[in-house]
Amino acid sequence: MSDLLHTMALSASGMKAQSTRLRHVSENIANVDTPGFRRKLVSFEAAPAGIGRPALVETGRVRFDRSELPLIHDPGNPLADESGNYRGSNVDLVVEIADARQAQRSYEANLKMFDQARQMTSNLLDLLRN
Amino acid sequence: MFADLEIVRMAQGLARHAAARQEAVARNVANVNTPGYKQVGLPDFASLHARTVSSGSEASGMRATRAAHLGAGHDYAPPAPRVVADARQAPNGNSVSLEGEIMKAAELRRDHDMALAIYRTATSVLRAGIGRR
Repeated sequence: MSDLLHTMALSASGMKAQSTRLRHVSENIANVDTPGFRRKLVSFEAAPAGIGRPALVETGRVRFDRSELPLIHDPGNPLADESGNYRGSNVDLVVEIADARQAQRSYEANLKMFDQARQMTSNLLDLLRN
Repeated sequence: MFADLEIVRMAQGLARHAAARQEAVARNVANVNTPGYKQVGLPDFASLHARTVSSGSEASGMRATRAAHLGAGHDYAPPAPRVVADARQAPNGNSVSLEGEIMKAAELRRDHDMALAIYRTATSVLRAGIGRR
């Protein structure tokens, strides 16, 4: 029974981590046209396990994508310099959407594991009922 | 009294083993996108059973002989999850295969249901034996 409760805690931590990642992805997508915006990256790591507590998964520190910001030629833009260029954001929509889809799939898998543990627990408790 | 019956003990062992496997599977699924994570797994119940009843002496592994010993009171104690050594790794060092985990989850779900069904049947047989339905 305690294994099943640990299972639910683990799956819940996985879902929390994936939804944090999805939040950062939506932040990137919202800022795709913001000049000078650097794409935010978040990675997962295992939290240290304690006695009687499983090693949950959590999101690590938020980092910036260090790749070059693209130079956009638009002389009419108020941010443009003498040569008519300004720096855009380094967000790639295709990458972000692929990332969002992966987060969604992983979230669903965690949800399925949570549901299975819940059903196993309730089946176990049904033994007491009759 | 119930714990002395071999069939009930085995059903308990199978249910406990399924729960321990479920924890390992959930850990793998939760870490499916963690870089450098190594997949963990448990041996199946058949090998655990073979080790528990091997040669009648049950000599391999440590045995709890007193109630105060750690792990006494039940046999078939599931082993701790171990890192699966020969799993293929993704470029980021993660070795979890989501398809494999889902398959394991379906398998252990079946094991757990079977264990509970066996337990329920055994208790209903006992109830019939003491005159109740």
